[in-house]
Amino acid sequence: MWEQLIEEAPRFFSYYNMLFFAKALGTTFALSAIGCVVGFTLGFVLAAIRLTTHPGLKPVRITVQLVTELVRRIPFLVTLMLVFFIFQGLDADLSMFTVALFSVCLIATAFIAEIVRSGLESVHHNQWDAAATLNFSYWQVLWWVIIPQAWKIILPPVFGFFVLFIKDTALASQIGVIELAFAGKTMTNKGFSATLVYGTVLLLYFVLSYPLARFGKYLETRLAPTQDR
Amino acid sequence: MQLDFSPILERLPYLIGGAWLSLQIAFLAFFLGMLLGLGGASIRAYGPGWAKRLVGVYVVFFTNTPQLIQIFFIFFALPDAGVVLTPYSAVLIGMTLNAGAYLTEIQHAGFKSVRRPELEAADTLGFSHLQTVRYVILPHILRVLFPPLSNQYILMTLGTSMAAVFGVEELTGRTYNINSETFRSIEVFLVAAALYIVITLIATLSLAFIGKRFFRAKMRWF
Repeated sequence: MWEQLIEEAPRFFSYYNMLFFAKALGTTFALSAIGCVVGFTLGFVLAAIRLTTHPGLKPVRITVQLVTELVRRIPFLVTLMLVFFIFQGLDADLSMFTVALFSVCLIATAFIAEIVRSGLESVHHNQWDAAATLNFSYWQVLWWVIIPQAWKIILPPVFGFFVLFIKDTALASQIGVIELAFAGKTMTNKGFSATLVYGTVLLLYFVLSYPLARFGKYLETRLAPTQDR
Repeated sequence: MQLDFSPILERLPYLIGGAWLSLQIAFLAFFLGMLLGLGGASIRAYGPGWAKRLVGVYVVFFTNTPQLIQIFFIFFALPDAGVVLTPYSAVLIGMTLNAGAYLTEIQHAGFKSVRRPELEAADTLGFSHLQTVRYVILPHILRVLFPPLSNQYILMTLGTSMAAVFGVEELTGRTYNINSETFRSIEVFLVAAALYIVITLIATLSLAFIGKRFFRAKMRWF
């Protein structure tokens, strides 16, 4: 086994193969990065909507809660297929990357909305009441009172989710997006041994995910919430 | 776009059978992963230095690479070394190893959450070693660990859908089959999504009930 791998390695680590992997790594990175940014923004908005108290917004709140709860209970592979076939049914001529990006943003939004909501709720309700006495509007309370206290609780699990999330993008290979997992499949189809190919792919994912995981751990110890509330 | 669910509803028992297989895979992988995690967490807490580092490498490697590629490696690369596995066992081994890494971390955090004063208090009250484990350590650990463990179980139930990529006929695999038989793609994937929602909801509700009732864990119903 080893002789074969050593014999194969120079052919495998050729310039064009590495260029192919680098591009695939770029696609994986783009999928996860855009998903993270969009997911964080929309997730924040959804969480803020769920915490409103205006009676007229009740139907909106219930819809938001239902959507976040349900999307988080569907496996990513099924979400991906569903989005893919729905776009196909609508005759929308989109690239596979766009379809994958849409599904990635969808699940990121749902998961992050839940993390942000529980973070915002962890701030004691007295804070809302006190700010209301000072005649703050809802958005003012959120921005000036709640978020400054809640972001320490929100950030560590959000980074934990991002790490999980990079790895989920591997499933995008199933609809033919040329990212790392797909690159691995292409290379084994070209006849390179699976040990070499998937070893490299595992390593590349590790390179992408490990720094983020370390940063998340660092934030967790650095921002450990104080007990003085 | 017109939706027609009738060909899917005809095949609903077939899909539900798939959901049952998904649950079995999730449960088996979770159980085996728990054992692996218990071993890993014990080594991390009490083992010699080299073993701790070894477990550390295992956890860091498996939590930072995708489960899909891990199973790809087990399924396609191990035959190079002479180990040929069926898709089912490759998926099960991959999921177990992956879960073992996460469960090591979770259980390790549980071990660490027992505070020294608690043990000293038990000692002051004249508890024997077994009594300390039974009345102080276990209730504490279970109460702290139950919510993250049930969360992990739900994530693993969703993770079983990856088995379809390797041709295992669980819920997603059978959904693929029905899709290629009937071409009612949107309908069949909608039904599959609904079934996943149902099985994870049942799991969440029963786990929340058990956690609240028996371990006084802080858990939400949804």
